[in-house]
Amino acid sequence: MKLLKTGRWITIVGLALLAAVYVRALAFTPVERFQGAAQKIYYIHVPSALCAMLAMGLVGVAGILYLLLKDPRFDRFGEASAEVGVAFSLVMLTTGPIWAKPIWGTWWTWDARLTLTLFLFLLFLGYLLLRGAVTDPGLRARYSAVLGICGLVLLPFIHLSVYFFRTLHPQPIVLKPSAPSLPGEMLVTLLFSFLVFTILYVGLVTQRYALSLLREQAEQHA
Amino acid sequence: MPENTSYMVAAYVITAAILVGYAILLYRRTLKP
Repeated sequence: MKLLKTGRWITIVGLALLAAVYVRALAFTPVERFQGAAQKIYYIHVPSALCAMLAMGLVGVAGILYLLLKDPRFDRFGEASAEVGVAFSLVMLTTGPIWAKPIWGTWWTWDARLTLTLFLFLLFLGYLLLRGAVTDPGLRARYSAVLGICGLVLLPFIHLSVYFFRTLHPQPIVLKPSAPSLPGEMLVTLLFSFLVFTILYVGLVTQRYALSLLREQAEQHA
Repeated sequence: MPENTSYMVAAYVITAAILVGYAILLYRRTLKP
């Protein structure tokens, strides 16, 4: 299948570029004066968080489009994006505490940003469990679309939670109305890493979408 | 060796393990859909 091969190649290119991100972040990006080496977790934590949010947001958009158009391609895409989003969320939720421990002195705190992010992760785990539990394809697609839209509604609250509530989590230093407050070399590394994580997202979603198609074809032949 | 290096190494290793692991898992699943 051409789609599957394309997804595989994009993923391979993404993983090769991820190695390049590691080299650039670890060897060619300066060490931050106050946080030391732990600050370099930023170059994987932030892109993984952005890609997780992108994935979850697109699940919601696909859900809206499915409910409007009843096109199964949107349901298939939502499923693929949710699963890949869970993988990126896992990266975000493991690298975050590893960075927090040396800087905040604690692995985890139940503030608005962290709690809402964990809730979103659990919501999408629930999304995948729901898909496994409902056998009727039409019903499954409709329930999943509604749950995906709930996740989409949650995203702005997660992004803005650092402004609304007292939190240990820093406020955005790139995605904010004013110019990014990050030195040039660090910003280039961050943008490069975000690009590579996005390529990986595209490759993995394409493969996962193709897998759903293959399964549907196998079911039709059975 | 800068401070906090072990935390940085752990984060980078775990990230690679999750992403490469998921890519391999997905590859194996597509072989037997």
